Amino acid sequence: MGTKETEKKKRGFETFAVVWRVPLIAWQTVFFLGPLLFMVAMSFFVVKNYRMREAFEFVSWAKMLGRHTFWDAYGYTLLLAVCSTVIVSLIAFPAAYALAFKTSATVRRWAIFLLVVPFFTSYLVRIFSWYVVLAESGPVNSVLGFFGLGPFTMLNTMFGTMVGYATLTLPLVVILQTVSLANIDNRFIEAAHNLGCGAFRTIHAVIVPMAKTGLVIAALFCFILSFGDFVSPYYLGGSKPPTLAILIIDTTKSGQQWPRAAVVAVMMMLTLFTVAFSSIWYAYRKRGSR
Amino acid sequence: MTNSPASQPIVEFVDVVKRFGDFEAVKGIDLEIMPGEFIAIMGSSGCGKTTTLRMLAGLEAPTEGEIRLDGQVMNDVKPHDRDTPMVWQSLALFPFLNVRENVEFGLKMRGVGPDERKDRAMRWLERMEIEQFAERSVDQLSGGQRQRVALARALVTEPKVLLLDEPLSALDAHLVIRMQQVLTKLQRDLGITFVYVTHSQSEAFAMADRVVIMGDGKIAQVGKPRDIYRAPANRFVAEFVGRNNILTGTVTELAGSTVAIATPAGTFTVSAEGAALPAVGATASFVIAADLVHFSPDPMAEENSVECSLISEEFVGSVMTLFLESKDGTEFKVQTQERVLANIDLKATGRFHLGWSAASAHLLGE
Repeated sequence: MGTKETEKKKRGFETFAVVWRVPLIAWQTVFFLGPLLFMVAMSFFVVKNYRMREAFEFVSWAKMLGRHTFWDAYGYTLLLAVCSTVIVSLIAFPAAYALAFKTSATVRRWAIFLLVVPFFTSYLVRIFSWYVVLAESGPVNSVLGFFGLGPFTMLNTMFGTMVGYATLTLPLVVILQTVSLANIDNRFIEAAHNLGCGAFRTIHAVIVPMAKTGLVIAALFCFILSFGDFVSPYYLGGSKPPTLAILIIDTTKSGQQWPRAAVVAVMMMLTLFTVAFSSIWYAYRKRGSR
Repeated sequence: MTNSPASQPIVEFVDVVKRFGDFEAVKGIDLEIMPGEFIAIMGSSGCGKTTTLRMLAGLEAPTEGEIRLDGQVMNDVKPHDRDTPMVWQSLALFPFLNVRENVEFGLKMRGVGPDERKDRAMRWLERMEIEQFAERSVDQLSGGQRQRVALARALVTEPKVLLLDEPLSALDAHLVIRMQQVLTKLQRDLGITFVYVTHSQSEAFAMADRVVIMGDGKIAQVGKPRDIYRAPANRFVAEFVGRNNILTGTVTELAGSTVAIATPAGTFTVSAEGAALPAVGATASFVIAADLVHFSPDPMAEENSVECSLISEEFVGSVMTLFLESKDGTEFKVQTQERVLANIDLKATGRFHLGWSAASAHLLGE
């Protein structure tokens, strides 16, 4: 009798678990896995007379991967995303360090709240604001002109693109870095000082390795957001040269080449998967196990 | 001990005060520690012992007073410029480094090259008998092994002073005894100064040359473990050291260096040898160690005696502690070997006569 009751309880519990899992699984299948598989399939379709036809041919793959345009865009996108990740992580670190170690808990809470505020406004709106601010006759150049400098061309340059990427990713990276730094047990830092490690040296000898997981995850977010972004390189970078996201739009616009655009998209997905998996493996890797 | 004259203290605290906001953690302490000494600073939590140790390591700056290390004032010297490695209660071994790299850390910070670093770290791991774990990650080690890594990491730079902050408090009882032996042997072999903070009387008394008893931010007594046990300076220490009979009363007579004190349990004579004589009519306290009290079912011819009834007994190892009460309700403790009691039926007897000599009683200061 006892076992029967346990069984009943167990079955009841399983139903509960399944019911709560189903919506998530369904959502992921319908809106992520489905479209992804469709996109992969579409990359093998062919276009004849501006009409797409279902097929299994490697025409689009050969066409795209055999072109300079694609590889140039791929290299440039990768370069931009890597630069953005490095620059944003470096700019964010001193701020996160100050928030984690040099401020009170109250100040830290307020700072994190203020770092969330930028997300209240649409990213597109913020980029258009930069468009005005960075313009040849904009406020930045007026101020610099006052000191006899400039005017500098900041729009339609790589600098403009980086400003856009930082707008998108900097607040998030600062938050993620702050949280991971604030979690470091102060006793490790004291132990480092006690063993002759100066304040500045402690940063790379102890603090960065201790916060490695969080710092890598923050950088990964920055890379993913920058790599796939279309708005910054298009409006602030002037799409010269085009990034992969811009290439997708150009390809679909010119002659209904959806399969070729799908090839670009699949290549982007593969890159993101590779980067995400390897950085998460690196972030959680343990040392010295043998 | 060999390279500096024994008359010159290695560590000096001169009227050191530490305040955290309104809270005064350390209220003016003076302490001299000699080279090669094993000093234990003991007290209950919040007595200021850890703050004292942290000030010596430079992790806290004293609010007032001076701390000198090897004759040099250390107040403004940064922790990383001091040679006072610490073994932490939490051990604080770096999880991102393996065992050998942890031990090498201090050497690396001092600019020692990789080959020499590795050699010296391996020598210490061998000395600690954990060289086979050199390339393991710290979390694969047992508590006792990690303890040894922490010791090796602190000692690898061959400091003059080693600080230990309750290093054994997280270990199992049998490991504590083992590590006590390791620590005492190490300290004797190396001849360096150990400053050991603990709340455990057994650890402090088993290992230290001198014990510093702290209470409420002040030093209550400094002395050899034996002296502290036999001649506690004041009521605080007498109570802290435990297993003592503390009696308070009025001084009625002075005869040479012997004082008669009238307590609710009776009038007793106390030797005031080496202590300031109190005035007749003053209030005075004295202590008799529980193992110096004799007892018998029959009245006895001792300088001091009192009749008590047995309340309860405690039996640990071969030592028996009897808890008794006199007619007026004063509590007495008697400690003796179990074999002494073998031919006495405690329950049936019920009443005992306790006796002790005036020399066994110790007059307490304020």
